[in-house]
Amino acid sequence: MSVVADNGAPDVLRVENVAKSFGAITALRDVSLRLGKGEVLGLIGDNGAGKSTLVKILSGYHRPDSGEISLFGEPVHLRSVIHARSLGIDTVYQDLALVPGLSVFHNMFLKREHTRLGVLNNGSMRSQARAQLDSLGVNIPDVNAEVATLSGGQRQAIAVARSVFSDAKIILLDEPLAAMGAKEGGLILKLIRDLRERGDVSQIVIAHNYLHVLETCDRVCLLQNGRITFDRPTAETSVEELLTLVGAEYRAPDA
Amino acid sequence: MSEIEQSTGLSRRAMMTAALAGGAGAMALPAWATEALAAETGKYPSHPKWRFVFVNHVTTNPFFVPTRYGAEDAGTMTNTTYQWTGSETAKTPEMINAMNAAISGKADGIAVCVVDPHAFDSVTVKALKKGIPVVAYNADGSTENKRLAYIGQDLFNSGVEMGKRIASMVAKGGRIGLFIATPGQSNIQPRIDGAQSALKGKGYKIDVITTGADLPGELTKIDAYVQGHPDVKGLFAVDAGSTQGIAQTMQKRGLQAKGVKGGGYDLLPITLQLIKSGDLDFTIDQQPYLQGFQPVIQLFLYKISGGLMAPSNTNTGLLFVTLGNVDPYLQTKSRYEGSDKAQKYIKS
Amino acid sequence: MAAAETIERRPASAGRRLISTFIARREFGIFLVLVALILYFNARNSAFGSKENWATLAEYGSPILIAAVGETMLLICGEIDLSVGHVYALAPLVLYKVAEHGWPLVVGLVVAVGVAALVGLTNGLVTVYLRVPSLIVTLGMFNVLNGISLLISDGSQQLTPTNPTFGKIFGVGDYHTFYWAFGIMLAMHFVLTMTPWGLHTIAVGGNRIGASESGVNVSWIRIGNFVMCSVLGGFAGILTAQHIGTTDPLAGGTGLMFYGVAGAVIGGTALMGGSGTVIGTFIGVAVLTVLNNGFTLLGVDAFYNDLFIGIAILLSMALGFLIGRIRGKPA
Repeated sequence: MSVVADNGAPDVLRVENVAKSFGAITALRDVSLRLGKGEVLGLIGDNGAGKSTLVKILSGYHRPDSGEISLFGEPVHLRSVIHARSLGIDTVYQDLALVPGLSVFHNMFLKREHTRLGVLNNGSMRSQARAQLDSLGVNIPDVNAEVATLSGGQRQAIAVARSVFSDAKIILLDEPLAAMGAKEGGLILKLIRDLRERGDVSQIVIAHNYLHVLETCDRVCLLQNGRITFDRPTAETSVEELLTLVGAEYRAPDA
Repeated sequence: MSEIEQSTGLSRRAMMTAALAGGAGAMALPAWATEALAAETGKYPSHPKWRFVFVNHVTTNPFFVPTRYGAEDAGTMTNTTYQWTGSETAKTPEMINAMNAAISGKADGIAVCVVDPHAFDSVTVKALKKGIPVVAYNADGSTENKRLAYIGQDLFNSGVEMGKRIASMVAKGGRIGLFIATPGQSNIQPRIDGAQSALKGKGYKIDVITTGADLPGELTKIDAYVQGHPDVKGLFAVDAGSTQGIAQTMQKRGLQAKGVKGGGYDLLPITLQLIKSGDLDFTIDQQPYLQGFQPVIQLFLYKISGGLMAPSNTNTGLLFVTLGNVDPYLQTKSRYEGSDKAQKYIKS
Repeated sequence: MAAAETIERRPASAGRRLISTFIARREFGIFLVLVALILYFNARNSAFGSKENWATLAEYGSPILIAAVGETMLLICGEIDLSVGHVYALAPLVLYKVAEHGWPLVVGLVVAVGVAALVGLTNGLVTVYLRVPSLIVTLGMFNVLNGISLLISDGSQQLTPTNPTFGKIFGVGDYHTFYWAFGIMLAMHFVLTMTPWGLHTIAVGGNRIGASESGVNVSWIRIGNFVMCSVLGGFAGILTAQHIGTTDPLAGGTGLMFYGVAGAVIGGTALMGGSGTVIGTFIGVAVLTVLNNGFTLLGVDAFYNDLFIGIAILLSMALGFLIGRIRGKPA
């Protein structure tokens, strides 16, 4: 596997031979992939193939059983989510990691709170949250509102906004479009494209809608049976090919 | 022993039986006598319907059912009312709270079970300072408390009497189980202290067991003890629940036939039945009815006389109920023992 | 968004925001219920509003409030402590034992609070690391504590060791327990609303996995709140023992614990976790105290007491929810 990506820039993230099991269940057998600077990588695969596990390893939530991860050319051992964050990796989880009983701005600054001598500086968090959401064009009228009162799309936007403004260099998005209507999903896709435009943020997006994948991602990887079995620039493939590859395991053998 | 029993050598029941056996005509009372009996009060002037507050430590315990009847009946006689309050589970702060509420609510008199050695002292003084008479009933656990009188059983002495009884029933050197629901509680601890003092130095092997405040738990504890000590020769308790537990255990395991003796306090219906059946040897009648009746009468007299008639310490008596005299208790479903709501004149 | 072109709305002053937030919240509903109850009891018996009755109310409600505040934090983060009423009995006993051996009262206090913290720590460690539901853990714990209390006290009540200064600071005298209870309530309100610990407690209760994914140290939060609840329970027990002068191994118990939890729930804390406020708990405990005291003043017989209080609790909660719903807040 080449160290240098097609566009000439060095890899920001390199995963080599990572494996992970949970008791008797092997989630990942031997996964290797790379992510270049400013790249958007689409990760696809059937349900249960291990995509979420891979993202959780990269975000610092799980520790791999074996294999190596390198960031910006240096090997790293990600000890925790906080540690991964400090190294520039942030995640938008499938369940959004939002607390329904807390306000929008408290959620956006969870574990990143502004404090003055140990006391929360709510005023400062409030205004910064307002500014951030406005700059993204997200429609949330009141940052004091409890997240429980917001729609799915609004919540997704908060989760993404949290990562966008977190100074992360690598953002992992686990099924950001799941359970979303067309209009709300459009906002997320726009955010992903805007991030790509910035050029200094790399993303890995897990998705099931191959049309979206081809539209927003530079490259696509297929995770199958605990391994990456397909790794191609999106320009060189099509929805039909992806469908065929993913469905291959279920086709009956020719008589 | 009750004072009557002590001075005359006869049990109370025996005396009443003798008094009325003589004249069959005594059964039919003349009309004026019936009227007098039906009259509600004596020659007392009209007075406000005073309210006396009873502060109890186990408000829902069946032992006090006859006590409430006693208070109610005395209330009918004196044209006063009573309120029954306190704590269900012997929580001192709840009882103090109830007393404070009684004081704020300007109760006309308070009767309280003093089950704590110090906690009730200041609130009693508070009531007295406001002109509210306070008497202790059933339990008199504080030496410093300024209550006007104690109405109840002489606890330590009753224990001593039981101890003497036990010594006459169980051979020296035998193992005895003494059961107490909640140790330290001032209305039962003195009994067990009295019993132990009477048994001291006689060579008995005594185990003191805590059974807890609820009946089912008490039964299991006693049963478990008997299982673990097959050499036990006597099972005795100082509270109603444990006594019933002993009686039931003795019946279940046929312990009388094995030479085990048993006894305790109070008149729970099952306890009485098992005395009749011979499974339990004795129980002690504290006359709980009087513990409700007397405080009302005495508080009433205090109020009607403007404080001239001060309440006096009243021993509500002690009687051993055995196979020989248990019948009247069983036959008369009576308000006095708490098993019947109807007010009746009981001819013995 | 150019600042010059937007119409800037000056944010409401902190005071005004506080008041409008309060009115909009569910606590307002139960607050109305409390006011209604006070007015009712006062109308039925003017002794209710007397100065000394307020002192009685304060005396009765203070220990419950302290325990309830501890339970509130735990309930919010998704746990419960059934043993708080038994630490309440054990702590003053520990103080008694230490004083009995000749140590100064302050040392006894420190040791007693330390023992309470240890109980909380045990509850927390077993719940978090052995993954036993806190309901079960604290159920077992309260029985253990009960046994220990009875053993070290021989089942009997003791005179609480005290001296004039210590006593006055720690509960002797009218309202002295109340000052502590009120102060503790304010402190916990501050922790819950103005510190990261409070935010994270809500996060752990509202979305434990999500909180963990965000980097919150979920184990720390849970264990820490267990410790806090037990410490508060033990401290409340010490205050009461000073106040009434007797140290009783059977004090508090499950009765106190249930009233503490009920106070929190009536005040709006969800049993399932994720939401709740300390102010609401204060109102909830006040409702319970007023009900108890009010019925006694009205002369209600003890047999009816439980029935009435139970019905009153159900009605209070229903009314509180109803008012909150009318105001448009989610239940």
